[in-house]
Amino acid sequence: MKEQIIRIMEQHRGSFVSGEELSRRLDVSRTAVWKHIAALREDGYEFEAVPKRGYRLVQVPERLRPERIRELLRTTTLGHTLHVYDTLDSTQTKAHELVAQGAQEGTLVIADRQTAGRGRMGRVWHSPPGAGIYMSLILKPRIPLQFTPQLTLLAAVALCRAIVRIARVPVGIKWPNDLLIGGKKICGILLESSAEDERLRYIVAGMGIGVNLLPDDYPPELRSIATSLAIEAGHRFEREVLIAAVLEEFEALYKLYDEQGFGPIRSLWEANSASLNRPVRVRTAQGELEGIAESLDDSGGLNVRLADGTMTKIFSGEVELR
Amino acid sequence: MFKLSEIKELMKLMDQTSLHELEIENEGSHLLIRKPGKTESVIVAPAAQHTFTPVVSAPAPFAPAAAAGGPAAAADQAASGEEDAGLHKIVSPMVGTFYAAPSPGAAPFVTRGSKVSDKTTVCIIEAMKLMNQIEAEVNGEIVDILVENGQLVEYGQPLFLVKPH
Repeated sequence: MKEQIIRIMEQHRGSFVSGEELSRRLDVSRTAVWKHIAALREDGYEFEAVPKRGYRLVQVPERLRPERIRELLRTTTLGHTLHVYDTLDSTQTKAHELVAQGAQEGTLVIADRQTAGRGRMGRVWHSPPGAGIYMSLILKPRIPLQFTPQLTLLAAVALCRAIVRIARVPVGIKWPNDLLIGGKKICGILLESSAEDERLRYIVAGMGIGVNLLPDDYPPELRSIATSLAIEAGHRFEREVLIAAVLEEFEALYKLYDEQGFGPIRSLWEANSASLNRPVRVRTAQGELEGIAESLDDSGGLNVRLADGTMTKIFSGEVELR
Repeated sequence: MFKLSEIKELMKLMDQTSLHELEIENEGSHLLIRKPGKTESVIVAPAAQHTFTPVVSAPAPFAPAAAAGGPAAAADQAASGEEDAGLHKIVSPMVGTFYAAPSPGAAPFVTRGSKVSDKTTVCIIEAMKLMNQIEAEVNGEIVDILVENGQLVEYGQPLFLVKPH
C-alpha cells in the first residue's frame, strides 16, 4: 500500500493529490490513506498537506547506494561482502544471524533505518531513516579471548580517524569507546562477541554515526547529549564516503594489531583521547571512584590515579569527565 | 610460532591423558608442556593488587602469539577443579563485569535448575564495553551460580556449576 501511494505521488511530483483521489484509486478509506502517509513520514518521506488540495510529495528519503560504497572501497577484506537493507530491526541482530549462516570475516551489514537499534544492555540507539550510518561488521580474529576488549578501543580509534579525515571536526575518545564532539556523543560503538570453551568464535562490531541528523531529528532528551556531523560541520556529508573511510581505517588498524599487538593501537587511542590527564568520576558495579585518568593499561584498561596517590585500573565502568 | 589457542587445546588434551610431558618442535618453534606434580607447575598467578586491578600474569614458557603486552594468557586451572563431584565449572574467560541478563529488568539467561545445552548462553561478561556472551560448553543442569549480577569477575573465576548429563 505504501509503495502504491509513493508511485502515485511520484507520478504527480510537484503537484497536489487529494486524499479523496488517493482513497478512490487505492480503494481504501480516507483514514487509511492518512495512516499510510503518517507511516511514510516515519520512513523519511516529506509531504506537504494542504486542506482541500491534498498531499504533495516534497522529499524522498536519501537511500544508501551499495554500488557507491563499492566504488569508494579501498580495503582488501572488510566490507567486500555487503548486505544493505532499507529497514532492519537491528543490524547487530542481522549480523549474528548471518554468522549462524556462515558469514565470513569482513561481512558488513548496513541499514538505512533501524526500528530497534540496540545500544548496550538493552538501550535504544535512535536510528531515523536516511540520516545516519547504522552498520555492523563481522570479525573473526585469531586472538585469545581475554584480548578481545581491546578491539572496542581499536574500533573507537578507527571511527575517530575516519571522522576527522572526512568531516574535519574535533573528535575525542572517552574511555573506552565513546566519541565526543564538544562533550556530545557523535557515534556509538557496540561490540558483541560470542565465546565457547574459552575460545572466541566471532565479534560483531556495531557502529552508529549521526551523520546528517538535524536538531529536530533528535528526541528532546537526546538533544543536549548527542550531535551529528552535519550539525557540527554545518553541511551534509555523503554517507557512503564515510562508510568507506571507516572500513579503510578499521582494516589498517586491524592489520597493525594483528602484526604488532595492542601497543600501536594504544598510542593512537591515547593521542585521540578526550579523557586522559583529566579528573574523572568512574561508576562501576562496585561503586564510584574519582581520580585523574592517566593512561591506558597494556590490556586497554584505564589507569586512574586516586586522591591518595595510588593507581587503580578500570576494566568495566562508566567514565564521566569532571 | 604456536597460537595460544593451540597451546591451550594441547593442554586440555593432555589433561585427559596420563601424559606428563609433551615436547613439540615445529619450524623453529619449540614448545614444552609439563603437567604439574613432577616438576615445577605451570602458570597462573592472579596478582590481586587492588579490587579494581585484576591482573593475570603469565610467566615464561610460551609467549602469547598475538597482541603482545596484554595480560598474557594463562593455563587452565581446570586440573585442580576436576574433583568437584563431576561438576563442570563455567569460568570467566576474561576480567569484566558479570551480567546475568541481557538487559536490566530482563529475565536472567539461566537460573538454578535451568537445563542447558553446550550452545546455551548463560551470561554476558562485559569489559571495556565489549559484551561477551558465554556459552555453557556442556549439556546439563545449572546447579549453582557463584557470582552476583553486576559483580566484577576475574580471569578464570568460576561462574556456574553445571551437572553434566
